[in-house]
Amino acid sequence: MSIIKSKNLVHEYIRRDEEGNVESIQVALDNVNLNVEPGQFISILGHNGSGKSTFAKHINALLTPSEGTLIVDGMNTSDDEYTFAVRQTAGMVFQNPDNQIIASVVDEDVAFGPENIGVPTEEIIQRVEKSLKMVGMYKYKSHSPNKLSGGQKQRVAIAGVMAMEPKCIILDEPTAMLDPDGRKDVLQAVHTLNKEKGITVILITHYMEEVVDSDYVFVMEKGKVFMEGKPREIFKDVKLLKEHSLDVPQVTQLAYELREAGVPLPECVLTRQELIDGLKAAKASGFVPNLSAFVEMQAAKEVSNAIDISGAKDKVLILDHVSYKYSPGTAYEVKALDDVSLSIKEGEFIGIIGHTGSGKSTLVQHLNGLIKSTDGVIYYRGQDIYDKDYDIKDLRTQVGMVFQYPEHQLFETTVFKDVQFGPKNQGLDEKEQIKRAYEALGLVGLPEEFYLASPFELSGGQKRRAAIAGVIAMKPAVIILDEPTAGLDPKGRDDILGMITEMHRKRGDTVILVSHSMEDVANYVDRIIVMDAGKPAFDGTPKQVFAHYKELEAMGLAAPQVTYVMNDLIKEGMAVDAGATTVEEAKASILKAFK
Amino acid sequence: MLREITLGQYYPADSVLHSLDPRVKLFATLVFIITLFSANNVILFGFVLITLAGIIKMSHVPFSFMVKGLRSIVMLLIIAGLFNLFLTPGKELVSFWIFSISDVGLKNAVLMTSRMILLIIGTSIMTLTTTPNQLTDGLEKSLGFMKRFGVPVHEISMMMSIALRFIPILIEETDKIMKAQMARGADFESGGLIKKAKNMVPLLVPLFVSAFRRANDLSFAMEARCYNGGEGRTKMRPLKYSSLDQRAYICIFGFIIVFYAAKVIL
Repeated sequence: MSIIKSKNLVHEYIRRDEEGNVESIQVALDNVNLNVEPGQFISILGHNGSGKSTFAKHINALLTPSEGTLIVDGMNTSDDEYTFAVRQTAGMVFQNPDNQIIASVVDEDVAFGPENIGVPTEEIIQRVEKSLKMVGMYKYKSHSPNKLSGGQKQRVAIAGVMAMEPKCIILDEPTAMLDPDGRKDVLQAVHTLNKEKGITVILITHYMEEVVDSDYVFVMEKGKVFMEGKPREIFKDVKLLKEHSLDVPQVTQLAYELREAGVPLPECVLTRQELIDGLKAAKASGFVPNLSAFVEMQAAKEVSNAIDISGAKDKVLILDHVSYKYSPGTAYEVKALDDVSLSIKEGEFIGIIGHTGSGKSTLVQHLNGLIKSTDGVIYYRGQDIYDKDYDIKDLRTQVGMVFQYPEHQLFETTVFKDVQFGPKNQGLDEKEQIKRAYEALGLVGLPEEFYLASPFELSGGQKRRAAIAGVIAMKPAVIILDEPTAGLDPKGRDDILGMITEMHRKRGDTVILVSHSMEDVANYVDRIIVMDAGKPAFDGTPKQVFAHYKELEAMGLAAPQVTYVMNDLIKEGMAVDAGATTVEEAKASILKAFK
Repeated sequence: MLREITLGQYYPADSVLHSLDPRVKLFATLVFIITLFSANNVILFGFVLITLAGIIKMSHVPFSFMVKGLRSIVMLLIIAGLFNLFLTPGKELVSFWIFSISDVGLKNAVLMTSRMILLIIGTSIMTLTTTPNQLTDGLEKSLGFMKRFGVPVHEISMMMSIALRFIPILIEETDKIMKAQMARGADFESGGLIKKAKNMVPLLVPLFVSAFRRANDLSFAMEARCYNGGEGRTKMRPLKYSSLDQRAYICIFGFIIVFYAAKVIL
């Protein structure tokens, strides 16, 4: 018997005006038929707005169907009588780690669920201990959740669900707001629950790498299930997934492109080992590729590189032995930056990477004077920014800063007014303000029909564009973006990064991209600075930096998947370029090696 | 800058005070406040001070951590102190220009400021050694009799514990939004009162939006975990008096008797 069975499930969000008349109907789920067997590990994929979160809330009876039925473990979720029984059977973990922890101490939070359903005291204590041990958080039981990392908070949330002893656990994008380390820990905890405790898992995500190990995958779009099958069947059709703004793991992408170029590889490659084995077999079969098409592509790439480098001449920012301590002189003293010396040239496109707490955010906040160093000096165009005659407000317009989740700073009644806010603070006249806002919105590619809309009505990706425009409108010479793609789906991520690259190319300004995604950074930037324990550990081109992939791993970072593939291939005796960091470069290098 | 507020924070440690029943601590705090304000001479004041020092020692919370909580109210203390110092009539001690300090004023200023400081430290010992959940549990139980008069005691205590949980998060968020708007040239410092208030709009609107978003998320999370009001709820740590609590009550009553006996005698 299946544990979850949805039949012709429809859900409509109905918006009413003040008199209760229907203003608009939005169909979030459209005839969803789906079955989950007990003990399975199921993934539901889809970009933002595809209806996957709405579906998750149905399984937990937080929403009930407008039409059709949903049966959870033999109970109809539309039946009020079963609401609490359904919620006990199918527990739910949400996206934002902060907004689902109710208590101020870890174990009290885990106890919240069992307390609600009236479990006796003795048993609650046992359940809390057991659940916390399952996710490896037992030693943090008396900690405050505020002192935990995102990944740890998510594991506490999972323990909170497990303490209710459910048969099934639904995770709604549990890793979207986490760094790579946190993601790994959370996924590991979920897989353990599935394998060792036989808990049915429904993982909702847009990270393709997380899906590879599941038993069965559903892909949703526009409220419908448009693809379903085993991961291998789903990832076979890379082109179709791309068309639906979904992504595939880098290895799969590389294998797909090599196949397109004629290399005899198996139809669907999911893991590194499969790709290596496939390539070895191809080599053994004596395959020779046709290289003419690919040579042209390589030439084009070199030209575009040449444009980027030409602008980089003068040093715009210099950091001279900069250190920063939080709460200096107390027992809580933390050295966030430790004697950092760097220079940034005009027109460079730089990526700063490092795990949470490596000092990367502290570093960039120094560059526009939001944080003042405890030691050392920063020069902007040769001037000491800590000099008492230096105009720090002017520096902030010269060095623009886009914070993480910048859409949280939107506040005006219209998008246009919000973008005007920066230029207005610069003291520009009305005409110039409007001109600047108009240009900035054009650069970020927000359609004109949204200019006069309230910023709160836009979708997630659009809000982010509007917020970025708010900084660009000040025409800074240097733009810093702190994790500009956090929380976006693959399409949104590619769009934003594409937009930033395009902007950099058009305006020739200096761009600093702070990220923990190596794959994003490798694709776009000219120079990478790796931060670790408050110091730059590596500084160079992506090729130079990723050559140290073993050291990066020790820092809790990982090089792009292709770097690993290339290094594995070298070990297998193939003459490929170890410095390839993007799928394109890897493809070129592998094809050459066959010749 | 906003992160340094320690008022209302919990400091995990292993001490006698940490293991006391929150109701005992609530009662003790109440007694402390009353005696603090009825201590009107140096000996009584010293008695309260010594008792407090003993309790601080027992709490295993570093004293510097408690004092940090005072930093946020230094301005308030100074203003209150100055008002008392200059505006209390009495025998003139010193005078210069339009100011004059009287003996009563001096005494009031010293008493007032030290009372305020002790009040903050005394109450913060309670919050530092009691988790917010215990605290609200204690309040819920102590005020349980008010349910009969239609006061939603459980709901109020739940709201309080959620508020305590989210205060640090919202403070951090304020800090972040402030920086983001400063990066767009916003100015939160200069200008008159009206201009300053107007300048707060770019900070307050996003903060409210975020608070509502969090509230919405949280309500879903609570419902998903079967929250359905106070009816039929059990507790992982139900409040039960132990022998330790009994001894604590005896100490508190002993303190009250000694204090008021001394007050009458002196």
